[in-house]
Amino acid sequence: MSVSEHPLRKYTRRHITRTTTCPGCGIGTVSQAILRAIDELGLDMDDFVFVSGIGCSAWIPSPFYAADTLHTTHGRPIAFATGVKLGLPDKNVMVVSGDGDLTAIGGNHLIHAARRNVDLTVVLVNNGIYGMTGGQTAPTTPRGLTTITSPYGTMEHHFDIAPMVAAAGASFVARWTTYHPRQMTRSIKKGIQKKGFALIEAVSQCPVQYGKASKLGSAVRILEYFKENSVRIDKARAMEAEALAGKIIVGEWVDIAKAELTQEWTELRRKLREESECHKLI
Amino acid sequence: MSKVNIFRQSCKGVDDCGICKFVCPQDLFQACQEMNAAGYFPPEIKDESQCTGCRNCMVYCPDFAIWVEKTDDQPAEEDEDKNAG
Repeated sequence: MSVSEHPLRKYTRRHITRTTTCPGCGIGTVSQAILRAIDELGLDMDDFVFVSGIGCSAWIPSPFYAADTLHTTHGRPIAFATGVKLGLPDKNVMVVSGDGDLTAIGGNHLIHAARRNVDLTVVLVNNGIYGMTGGQTAPTTPRGLTTITSPYGTMEHHFDIAPMVAAAGASFVARWTTYHPRQMTRSIKKGIQKKGFALIEAVSQCPVQYGKASKLGSAVRILEYFKENSVRIDKARAMEAEALAGKIIVGEWVDIAKAELTQEWTELRRKLREESECHKLI
Repeated sequence: MSKVNIFRQSCKGVDDCGICKFVCPQDLFQACQEMNAAGYFPPEIKDESQCTGCRNCMVYCPDFAIWVEKTDDQPAEEDEDKNAG
């Protein structure tokens, strides 16, 4: 028996016939990893609210996914998502956006949402460059890379997102590359189920802008680079800093249970309501 | 035997993308001669009987263009951690 359409298409809007990304872009792989996680958990798209900002990867949920989607202003999806989650605590709120959106323009929202431990699942697609606007240096661009805004190579150090968010207090933090889509799906499943702030950093290939800047060129060569330079976190912990230079550490940083903001709010509301009921009786 | 379904109209081309060809452990993909509506050359399978049903092409494809149907006598999906750094 042959099928007439991809089975994961049942989670996408009917009028969107193909993904919005360039050929070979890793965003589609991340998009599929998210849908597969939802499919494997047996969840309903109606129980989700997807929030995205501005950038290529913000196009993952909006307009592609057949769910409630909020396509917000640049850098602010986590701020919008915090409001959605506190207003609708029963929904699974997922933020899908890029490194330029969530760590550059919206960097403070990211670390403070992790500090507050709001029950959000954040899938941060990190391609190491501003892809949509033409390949400018981003805070995630590796040091020394020549981009259109750093013709002599960028002199700045880059953000190490996963450990940064782990240090800010998130409940669940993982990083995988698009060479590890199965592991990524597993971590997204854990992130959705986690009561608390969950970040899944998806290191992804931008064959057009990053491929040009790094001289790697094609999607396949960047994937090869991910394959050769990924080190699992358990192995990395036993390695010297020098040996880890230029490597991408993948794995799960944090997986803990701690007090979560939405629950605290719900509990406070219940307590105050009970108190006011008592006063009325007196 | 596994059935590899290729949704030609979703594909962005073996020459432009080529991820399916790269991740196939049996190297079964090649560009076909016929263009799709968007002007890309989607892949075709050289010999479907060689397919091990590992589903790498399906999981990696960024454009939801491949779906691998497995039969019961297939070995389990490729070990999750096998390619993890």
